Amino acid sequence: MATEGSERFDQVDWSDLSRSGRFDLSINSIGMLLTTLPLALLAVYDTQFIGDRTPTFEFIGLDRTFEAVDFFFIFTLFLAFWYLVLPLYQNPRMTRYYWKEFRRNRPAVVSMVWLGIVFVGGIIGPLVMSAPQQELLVAYQPPVFTSVVESTPATCVGEVMNGRCHGTWEYPLGTTNAGRDVFTMIVYGMTISMQIAFITTTIVATIGITFGTLSAYSGGWVDEIMMRFVDIILSFPTFLMFLLILYIYGGGLGMFIVVFSLFAWGGTARYVRSKSLSISEEEFIKASRISGASTYQVIRGHVVPNVASSIITQLTLLIPGFLLFEAQLAFLGVGDSTVPSWGQLISAGRSDLSYAPWIVLAPGIVLFLTILAFNFLGDALLDALNPEAEAESE
Amino acid sequence: MGFGRYVTARVLWAGVVSLIITTITFLLLSAAPNPDVQRAATQAALQGGDPAEAVERARELRGLDEPLYVRYFDFVQGVYTLDWGWSSSRSQPVIEAVGNALYYTAQYSIPWTILTVILGPLVGVYSAANMYSWRDHAATGFAFFGYAIPNFFFGIILLLIFGVWLEVIPIVYNTDVAVFSVENAIQLAIPVFVLVTGSIGAVMRVSRNESAEFQNADFMKTAKAKGVSPLRAYAYHVMRPTLVPLSTTLVGQLLALFLGSSLLVEVVFGIPGLGRLTFEALLSQDTNLVLGTTLFFTFVAVVGNLIEDLVFTVLDPRISYDDR
Repeated sequence: MATEGSERFDQVDWSDLSRSGRFDLSINSIGMLLTTLPLALLAVYDTQFIGDRTPTFEFIGLDRTFEAVDFFFIFTLFLAFWYLVLPLYQNPRMTRYYWKEFRRNRPAVVSMVWLGIVFVGGIIGPLVMSAPQQELLVAYQPPVFTSVVESTPATCVGEVMNGRCHGTWEYPLGTTNAGRDVFTMIVYGMTISMQIAFITTTIVATIGITFGTLSAYSGGWVDEIMMRFVDIILSFPTFLMFLLILYIYGGGLGMFIVVFSLFAWGGTARYVRSKSLSISEEEFIKASRISGASTYQVIRGHVVPNVASSIITQLTLLIPGFLLFEAQLAFLGVGDSTVPSWGQLISAGRSDLSYAPWIVLAPGIVLFLTILAFNFLGDALLDALNPEAEAESE
Repeated sequence: MGFGRYVTARVLWAGVVSLIITTITFLLLSAAPNPDVQRAATQAALQGGDPAEAVERARELRGLDEPLYVRYFDFVQGVYTLDWGWSSSRSQPVIEAVGNALYYTAQYSIPWTILTVILGPLVGVYSAANMYSWRDHAATGFAFFGYAIPNFFFGIILLLIFGVWLEVIPIVYNTDVAVFSVENAIQLAIPVFVLVTGSIGAVMRVSRNESAEFQNADFMKTAKAKGVSPLRAYAYHVMRPTLVPLSTTLVGQLLALFLGSSLLVEVVFGIPGLGRLTFEALLSQDTNLVLGTTLFFTFVAVVGNLIEDLVFTVLDPRISYDDR
């Protein structure tokens, strides 16, 4: 975020600013370290000291196990909190300005609310709701307020009127062919979607920004080689390559996230490079260079924060693609069928489509709304964070 | 750098990229156990033979006992001379299977591409001309809808409505009908519609935003002042400059959709095209066929990117060849 230069000039604490040694940690970094340490210890404990099949939290009596993806997801959540949410709180003036710009775009505000629901549901849902259980007796219950022919569900939980079974609040979105509650499965799918969104974004941003700035500051033939490498990454048919990798090695959600994010940072790197080339021509960079700032300090203090705001937009627009790919793979049945994602639910309900359409419709509509929300959000962020971009987004 | 040299350099670079992707594919394959060899071992074990011996024989049969670099050169030579091996699941050469599948893929890809290329800019420019009217809002809404709805999900829903409930289209694609017949048009209408809604959104948005810039330009004011009819003014003075930036996004968009979504759409509608071929090859563990279809899609992507770059430089004289 563009945190620099947001205070009023006469209020700047110069003695605070002059402490710009490389190893002075900000409150954000200290918080990040303090929260990451227990997580890292837990990860080491999980991988080294207990068996593969022992639940991670057995020592406090919880039957819950953490995969590598879960650890990484929590790490990215910490990252987002300390370096995205907290700076917004630390700079209330800029936050108010962004919010004012952002608020003008009403679809984007609605999108934000929706994504907030998905986010909170994805984090809290699995903690408060037990995983959907197979109960063949209650298979094919219709959603609440709707009804199906009495013969469709095994036994009707709701009331039966005129030969039609009515849905109940017990299963607000109906149940699948195995009697699993569709609503619970969608909430569990939110976790998967948020994991994909956060982890891929972190990997893409890290590689993209590092690669882009390195390329811009190396110049010459190093720059040339690095950018040709980006060309290759960009023309790589990731979806097919992933199918090939799945075919040869197999793989779950972790493999999906790694492969797709390793081939998605090409555009970001290219963008960061051109942006940092143009920023390094600015007066304030020259000024800080004259005052004796090292290249590292210039990049860390000026280039990255200035690039970051436009990167956020680009990343927001990348996420829906990942969600779509995951759903497509799940639908094809080549994804990890143990992962309770929306795509898995869609593919599970496909054969029952003609008499139990809610199994496909509910997750499909949720997926559609989420992708739509990310697109609207990206559009609005482009306007709010980048006033000079003048995107003609109505 | 002159234009000729730029084209040469760009074509050479496309060759290098395709070679690198081929190499990566080879490395991926050679690093993993070959399913054919494993199958031979399982069979030998089941029939009471020696699995190790069977593995040895299977490896020898497929030339896997040769050193890595020899296999690599053989592989690369095979790929570029279109000798893509034998598909065991379909009992025909891979290249022939790809050719057959391409016939069905082309039947819906060509109408889909033509419709997107023609309708997208038209609606976009129309929407810019009537900016902020209800027509513009409707077009924008449609663009976002098409962009956000997953193609395969949309396909399933339409198949449910038109195939299962209304029974106006066949649920499973019929390969027996002639290419240019009414039956074929009916059964391809929904897949084409799904793909067009998926790809047209981005084209509409780009052309709308680009042409909004041109419709208040000085040359438009001059044209209007001279009394040029609105249709002619838009066709000649707005549409043409809009098409230049559009051409860059267009190829990329279509390619992305072709590589990803066509596979899903073929699986949903049961069209025996390239995507379905890839998918079935994956399911039946037919390594040669998986490889062949993957490489085919890869080469389409490389050539598409090449054409996009070349077209852009030809269309827009402002682009210097040094800075790409």
